[in-house]
Amino acid sequence: MRPPESSVACRVVVVGFGPVAARLVEHLEPLVAAGLVSLTVIGQEADAAYNRVLVADVAVGRTPEAAIRLADADTLRSSGIDVRLGACVARIDRPFRRVLLTGGEAVDYDRLVLATGSRPVRPRLKGLEGPETSPLPPGVSFLRDLRDARAVAAALAAQQRIVVLGGGILGIEAALAAAEEGGRITLLHHGRSPMERLLGDGARVLATALRHAGINVVAGTSTGIDLEDGRFAGVGLEGGTRIDGGALVLACGVRPRTELAEGSDLAVADGILVDHSLRAVGTEDIWAIGDCAEVCCLRLSCEACAGVTAPQGLIGPGWQQADDLGEAFAAELSGDARGPSDGSGGGPGAGAAGRRDAVVVLKARGVDAVVAGETDADPWTVEPGLAVAEWADPGHGRYARMVTRDGVLTGLVCVGMPRTGAELVLLFERGSELPADRSSLLRLDSAEGLPAASPPGPAATLCRCAGVTRGSVQESVAAGCASVQDVSTATRAGTGCGGCHDDIRTVIERHFAAAVAS
Amino acid sequence: MQQAATGQPTHCPYCALQCAMTVTASGTHDGGARVDGRDFPTNRGGLCRKGWSAAELLRHPDRLTAPLLRDADGVLREAAWDTVLDLISDRVLSIQAGHGRDAVAVFGGGGLTNEKAYTLGKFARLALRTSRIDYNGRFCMSSAAAAGNRAFGLDRGLPFPLEDLGGASVVLLLGSNAADTMPPFVQHLGGAQAAGGLVVVDPRRSATARLTDQGRGIHLQPTPGTDLVLLLGLAHVVVAEGLTDNRFLEARTSGYDGVARGLAQWWPERVQGITGVPAASLRAVARLLAAGARRGSDGSQGAYILTGRGIEQHADGTDTTTAAINLALLLGLPGTAHSGYGTLTGQGNGQGGREHGQKADQLPGYRKITDPAARAHVAAVWGVPEDLIPGPGLPAVELLASLGRPGGTRCLFVHGANVAVSAPDAATVIEGLRSLDLLVVSDFFLSETAALADVVLPVLQWAEEDGTVTNLEGRILRRRRAVEPPPGARSELWVMQELACRLDAPSRFSEDPSTMFDELARASAGGIADYSGLDYGVLDSGAPAYWPYPAGSTGTPRLFVDAFAHADGRAVLVPVVPRTAAAAARRPGPLLLATGRLLEHYQSGTQTRRVPALLAAQPVPRLQLHPSTAQDLGIAQGERVVVTSPHGEARALADLTPDIRQDTVFLAFHFADAGSANLLTGGSTDPVSGMPEFKTTPVRVARLVPLDDGVRTDGLEVVA
Repeated sequence: MRPPESSVACRVVVVGFGPVAARLVEHLEPLVAAGLVSLTVIGQEADAAYNRVLVADVAVGRTPEAAIRLADADTLRSSGIDVRLGACVARIDRPFRRVLLTGGEAVDYDRLVLATGSRPVRPRLKGLEGPETSPLPPGVSFLRDLRDARAVAAALAAQQRIVVLGGGILGIEAALAAAEEGGRITLLHHGRSPMERLLGDGARVLATALRHAGINVVAGTSTGIDLEDGRFAGVGLEGGTRIDGGALVLACGVRPRTELAEGSDLAVADGILVDHSLRAVGTEDIWAIGDCAEVCCLRLSCEACAGVTAPQGLIGPGWQQADDLGEAFAAELSGDARGPSDGSGGGPGAGAAGRRDAVVVLKARGVDAVVAGETDADPWTVEPGLAVAEWADPGHGRYARMVTRDGVLTGLVCVGMPRTGAELVLLFERGSELPADRSSLLRLDSAEGLPAASPPGPAATLCRCAGVTRGSVQESVAAGCASVQDVSTATRAGTGCGGCHDDIRTVIERHFAAAVAS
Repeated sequence: MQQAATGQPTHCPYCALQCAMTVTASGTHDGGARVDGRDFPTNRGGLCRKGWSAAELLRHPDRLTAPLLRDADGVLREAAWDTVLDLISDRVLSIQAGHGRDAVAVFGGGGLTNEKAYTLGKFARLALRTSRIDYNGRFCMSSAAAAGNRAFGLDRGLPFPLEDLGGASVVLLLGSNAADTMPPFVQHLGGAQAAGGLVVVDPRRSATARLTDQGRGIHLQPTPGTDLVLLLGLAHVVVAEGLTDNRFLEARTSGYDGVARGLAQWWPERVQGITGVPAASLRAVARLLAAGARRGSDGSQGAYILTGRGIEQHADGTDTTTAAINLALLLGLPGTAHSGYGTLTGQGNGQGGREHGQKADQLPGYRKITDPAARAHVAAVWGVPEDLIPGPGLPAVELLASLGRPGGTRCLFVHGANVAVSAPDAATVIEGLRSLDLLVVSDFFLSETAALADVVLPVLQWAEEDGTVTNLEGRILRRRRAVEPPPGARSELWVMQELACRLDAPSRFSEDPSTMFDELARASAGGIADYSGLDYGVLDSGAPAYWPYPAGSTGTPRLFVDAFAHADGRAVLVPVVPRTAAAAARRPGPLLLATGRLLEHYQSGTQTRRVPALLAAQPVPRLQLHPSTAQDLGIAQGERVVVTSPHGEARALADLTPDIRQDTVFLAFHFADAGSANLLTGGSTDPVSGMPEFKTTPVRVARLVPLDDGVRTDGLEVVA
């Protein structure tokens, strides 16, 4: 381990400039300003970090590109950060602690952070053969970056039928966004319903909602794509049918971008292997965060890593890792804390972040679906501490499932109940216990609102501002008050916000109606 | 409401709405009086039951009519004015000789008239020669004030007349339960309700939230401590859906790019998991606001965003209010004819009280005490050398924490405040008050703070003296003497005049409110809150007087019409990120306590708990909690419960209501002793404003099991 950097600024190089890298850069900016860090950020795309979660919104034209920017290269450069866009790192020269760009240039580092993210999976279909990075045929695109968004936007503008391949969250969001903006959409998925593995029976409720949103939902296994005049024209299914369309959006998941790490002899499984302080396994000066990283420190007994799963392609855990690493760097490099952690404990709480169960919230305008944690437990299973509550009303598009262990919410599915879904995610993130009356959560979305005010007996308050009962108002009317003003003068009812004037009028009208009737 | 011919036109003693009323002396020279509502643009003749019953306190049996001095046996006994004034000045001088001038401190209040607030600041600096002065507005308006100054370069609660709200089609009320705290205000929401455009954000389905029922608007019910995230989510939608007013942003603001970049990460589905407010509701509200904003810029029914203590009284209150202002700026609301942003000031003179020098860092006219030009101006008005004016003191929470501590405060003057009930971590504050060498409290009742004093000075009530207050609109109003004060009670201006004389203070201290107002006007000249064109003659003419009102002008009903108050005329969008509160709200386990007010009571309850009808309506502290939460805790309606926080415990009766979130409990802070909500609050303060955290305290609630030995454990029967 090196002594803490002191006199010279520590050279930090970040490879990748997506949302997770941008968050790390935010943490490092004050260190740059303080002269403690000299920072280089190398991004492959021509654009500085933007929020990938919102790319589908850009594609369908309801959000401008500018609104999803997370960083501005010129602003960062003016604060002394070396930002390189459209640049690709070919290799890490670990012995000399430098990265080599494809153009041959070398950038030295004291600390290297890989935030290379993930890339969309290219399904193995006839017509899409070739290496992962080779160009897609015209009319076929992913929906991952702004370039993809522009391609989909063009297809929508040309009013082509768009086929979305993939019934996962990304495919559903893309299909819904396009359908909501007036596109003609076919969603092609495996299994009985989209998101069946995550949502269970809730997936069937969701499928109905998707159809109501105007999406042509098709179950089937695709075999290949057909081209006409060199452009996409349709997807062939097992059994011989074909889904026609003018554009194909591939939404078959993502996988970590690890080739730079692999080519530089870093340990890689699904992702780049890092210990729970996010340091690449077997290195002193390389870290990895976000989609490209897989937390697993290879010590069988390491509790901090127990239960860690492979990267999930979700932004929340990645941002948490960026926060943890940024705070650790800040503490180490500003010299007011322990030295660089050695991976055996302490350091960033990355393990915990990585271990947190994924929360998946469907981003859409008219359809609500959330899922988190363990969702496949059976309500009838007898297991100490486990309780599963389920509510299904497919006819009205509602489904909810709450899994608790010792009362604490450990899994949830909720479709078609926006407030219940929001509340369950909140409770899940907090690790809260649910109320014993689980149905009270379902009622958040009930139309009943609240029970009507207590029956208006004479003792009930009619005017809250002045604290006057209905009985007092009735007495004043019986004693001769014939207008709201009279009643107000006599009782002070109606002299505050005036919200009870209608009630006072009703009391007066009833009194005189009764007088006429008798 | 007919105005009695012999009555004096004045304004209510309670909240910042300052409802116009007529006070008519009973004519029997017993000091009694009758109150009638008086037509005025703010209250339109209406009063709430607090206002209606205000005159009952003028001749209340508890009224203090002679100074009280704690004797050798520790009992407060009546004493002569000369005796106590001499004693106070002797003790002040000896304490300062032994421990330095800053060993003496002053704690003021947002209910004091402008004249008293101004004179109190001057008294602290010139007579006591201490830097240690702050006031209870620190617990009230400080976050909104800091955010307003940062964004607009000026802080006036509503920068437009309240009546403007009536023309709006959309009003977003964030953390305000105005239907309970200032009921006649609700009359101005009618336009928005009729248009279906009233939006209320509150963890409780409060009386105000219910105003959105039946298609009149939308109630959002976020979990406490997540208002900032909620506002970031709303602003995200405005930017992402292209709902910003770009011409406004271009011409009248700076800082857009930085704020917009920060918003990209707060998409609604992320925000919903933090706040509990569904994404669809966030989008609906953002679009509603934008539609109102567009109507407003087309010259008709616009949109207003108003904040209250619910989002401001947090350790991130300044940033949360800034997020609300950013949202307003993105939509192009502030400084326009039909739309706007404002904060609803709380205390009677919460506006004027924060302008004229009772804040630790401030001189009259909303000037900074560290600004050499401001010091020179005020020193000239006071006729003293500039270096005689001390520098900045300590904000309220730090000031109270220093009581009795080494190097801290040993003598405290309290005016218009009841810190034993209203300050956070009340138990520690009470301990601090007890440890003082000298505590001098001016009040008209023996408040919980006065009961701890060495000297209690009996002072006047609102209807017994002349003065001015500045209401929530920044409009200066005349309060008029309508009844004879009881013999023995004196005005605080007289008290300060007498003490200043005994302390050989330079400059003038007059018991005449008009004289002190004229001096205030001169001291404020050229400042932000400029009153220099005003005197009692102008005010008595009835002409509306909104500050800034420089000499030669007719005041400023609408601020920012041409420019904001920063040097470049632009409003500033300041990027804000969630910090502590949101993190706290995400921890598992305890319930979250929000404190607040009831319709029937005001502040620490010193006044309203002495009005029989108000006390009968709300006699004891009641803890609101959700029925399903109560069920899990084994608590039934009306049972005694004990609430425990890291700072202490309080007792209350359980009040089960589905109107509150399952994770939230609510306790009003009007009660003392075992039922005091502020036994539970405390801890962190806002780094910018010094505002304590009042609305997101983690607590546990349990049924109170009475002790077997017959010892009464609840203490609830004796709160009055």
